Amino acid sequence: MNWIGLNTLIKREVGRFFSVYRQTVLPGLITSALYIAIFGFTLEQRISEIQGVSYTLFILPGLIMMNTLTNATANTSSSMLQMKLLQQLPDLLTAPLSGFEISLAYIIGGTVRGVVNGVMVLILGIVLVGMPVYDLVGTLIFILLVSWAFSSMGLLLGQLADSWDQLSTMQNFFLTPLSFLGGVFYSIKMLPDWAQLLSYINPIYYMINGIRYTILGISDSPVSISYGMALLLTLFFTTASILLMQSGKKIKQ
Amino acid sequence: MKIPAIEIKGLTKSYGDTMALDGVNIKIKKGEFFGLLGPNGAGKTTTINILTGLVFHDEGFTKVFGKDTVKDFRFTRSKIGIAAQEFSVDWFFPIEKLLYFQAGYYGINKKDADPMVNELLERLGLSEKRKSRLRQLSGGMKRRFQLAKALVHNPEIIILDEPTAGVDVELRHDLWKYLKDLHIRGKTILLTTHYIEEAELLCNNVAIIHKGKILKEGSPQALTKELGKAGITINTSEINTNYKVILANYKYTYENNRFHFSVKDPDKSLPKIIDLLSKNEININSVKSTKSSLEDVFLNLTGKGIND
Repeated sequence: MNWIGLNTLIKREVGRFFSVYRQTVLPGLITSALYIAIFGFTLEQRISEIQGVSYTLFILPGLIMMNTLTNATANTSSSMLQMKLLQQLPDLLTAPLSGFEISLAYIIGGTVRGVVNGVMVLILGIVLVGMPVYDLVGTLIFILLVSWAFSSMGLLLGQLADSWDQLSTMQNFFLTPLSFLGGVFYSIKMLPDWAQLLSYINPIYYMINGIRYTILGISDSPVSISYGMALLLTLFFTTASILLMQSGKKIKQ
Repeated sequence: MKIPAIEIKGLTKSYGDTMALDGVNIKIKKGEFFGLLGPNGAGKTTTINILTGLVFHDEGFTKVFGKDTVKDFRFTRSKIGIAAQEFSVDWFFPIEKLLYFQAGYYGINKKDADPMVNELLERLGLSEKRKSRLRQLSGGMKRRFQLAKALVHNPEIIILDEPTAGVDVELRHDLWKYLKDLHIRGKTILLTTHYIEEAELLCNNVAIIHKGKILKEGSPQALTKELGKAGITINTSEINTNYKVILANYKYTYENNRFHFSVKDPDKSLPKIIDLLSKNEININSVKSTKSSLEDVFLNLTGKGIND
């Protein structure tokens, strides 16, 4: 292993998003604060409690999860595509770094961004509306696992995409709808049967309900399935993104 | 026999129906300054991209100090520093930081990279810009930064892809001087260029590549002697002797008291011809010698000029 090389690339990936924190850290925090303000101060009085908790509290874990997974995905996918389009990738590919090391550094960079964003919304919830956290360790493990899984997925997408258009198509037509339909704003028990069935095949549904359980102690599905699904996604996307990187098929001629 | 610094054998590469490389063979000794000379699209960049791991090859192999560049990539890549033709663009970090990153990729931590980073920024006139982003640099500065990036891990082999493309004359001469210094310090240098002058001035050996094939390899002097044709033009006074007998061994034309000799090596032939004409009482009024260059060699080999 080229440990110094790996460490350098991790520093670069983390430094990259921190250097533009107004694009990569603050937006999620502001959007989440707006959701809390709008739902907490206006709509909450008109929406009844869901499974015994106020509506603002009910949506907060979902907001943490959405923020976590979109940021983790965006970091790796945009960094990889940028590297490809701006001729930076040759610097890595001509260095004594293996495909495994490059992948690992990217995934860790994206995971850090996912965790930072997730934890910041978690803190926002605790500070702004006094959100109780039923299982802090479980919550952090969930944020970490989901960050890793979606960071790996982003790396896969970044390698596959040849243009910003392709990348935003994947994000806007798949990731965002799946996040919204994963039950951030509702319990799937409110849905008709057919829509409930559809939710079961949406992996993000399990992520949202998993963290809702670790924070609020309530969930539409057993927490063990959520953990299992998070692990499965982590393993699948990590393996796929590393194998594609090692093959060099989308990054070399 | 000493292991060559770079060995390329039977290298082929095609993009669809286009054959980019068609059995390229090159050997570069340690400490050599080697030029890969050819027009745009000849296969120069493809060759070095395969050598450095950016492009897959079809057949053949590339070795660095005897080790395969695919199987032993960690070893081979650590020996090479490459300055690509195209500038990479980084919006996020100052150039100084980019050099530390580059060193880090090669397993050198910040503390150990410090002296080299400072030396390179100083030598290449980038010290004052060390905190600037790449986009704030002029074209010439970007070119110099490319070179700094290639040298930051102190590689034994330096590969330069068209290092002076698009730079002004002053910077070109400065870069040439620096490359000569590096060569004197023992670095093996592989340079691709389509500037004849650059190859003649800097390289011990050149290979002429055209349409994915190496047409000829050797020192610029040897190639010029072998394939180039030089001319000697001599204007004389009225000739009364039978010059045809005297000059039977030479290839020449004669018209209006003007001889034009076609020779391989004007340095050797000129004194002999002058001597011969003088001895036979032919008065010489003026002498003009035109030296052959790699350009003639290229013309002879491919039937057209390098920039045509």
